[in-house]
Amino acid sequence: MLEEKDICCSGNTNSLVLGCAGGSNVGQIANRVMIELDKKGIGRAYCLAGIGANLSGFVESAKAANVILVDGCPVGCGKKIFENHSITPARYIVITELGIEKNHNFDSVEAEVEVALQKIL
Amino acid sequence: MKIQILGTGCAKCIKLTENAEKAAKEEGVSYEIEKVTDINKIMEFGVMFTPGIAIDGEVKSVGKVLSVEDIKKML
Repeated sequence: MLEEKDICCSGNTNSLVLGCAGGSNVGQIANRVMIELDKKGIGRAYCLAGIGANLSGFVESAKAANVILVDGCPVGCGKKIFENHSITPARYIVITELGIEKNHNFDSVEAEVEVALQKIL
Repeated sequence: MKIQILGTGCAKCIKLTENAEKAAKEEGVSYEIEKVTDINKIMEFGVMFTPGIAIDGEVKSVGKVLSVEDIKKML
């Protein structure tokens, strides 16, 4: 929930975090990492789908922000969405590059999120 | 032409509104300006930083006070 203190001449950070949320373990880990980075105050979780859908408010907000972009795998859907809008993330993370193998097993996501966060932070 | 200023009413929002009105008048376009101050409505635009400006429903800029000349290019 956006609050008034977060915007409008507040001087607060303009960092956003976006995760791919794809249909694999690493996609879901990317999404969870986004949430955890939000909870830690590193950046506000934001909607990658809105940018992919070319919704102007989302695109312009991403352009105005320092973005941490988290993709699950080397397919790099998030990165390609950004490239389509000529947006360069301040930091780009790919979960599989952290040593986590892509699969369709969601039972280990919780533990793998912890592994990913330890390597990211 | 509908110009919407997205912001809760801070000094930057007011300045952007002034610049938008000046740009529209100098360009001689027919316009109406709406100040969108409700945070929930601002969020419906997907906007995370203000002030923002939307023209005919499309967000053109976020988090900046555009100059009169910048706004003219968008009209």
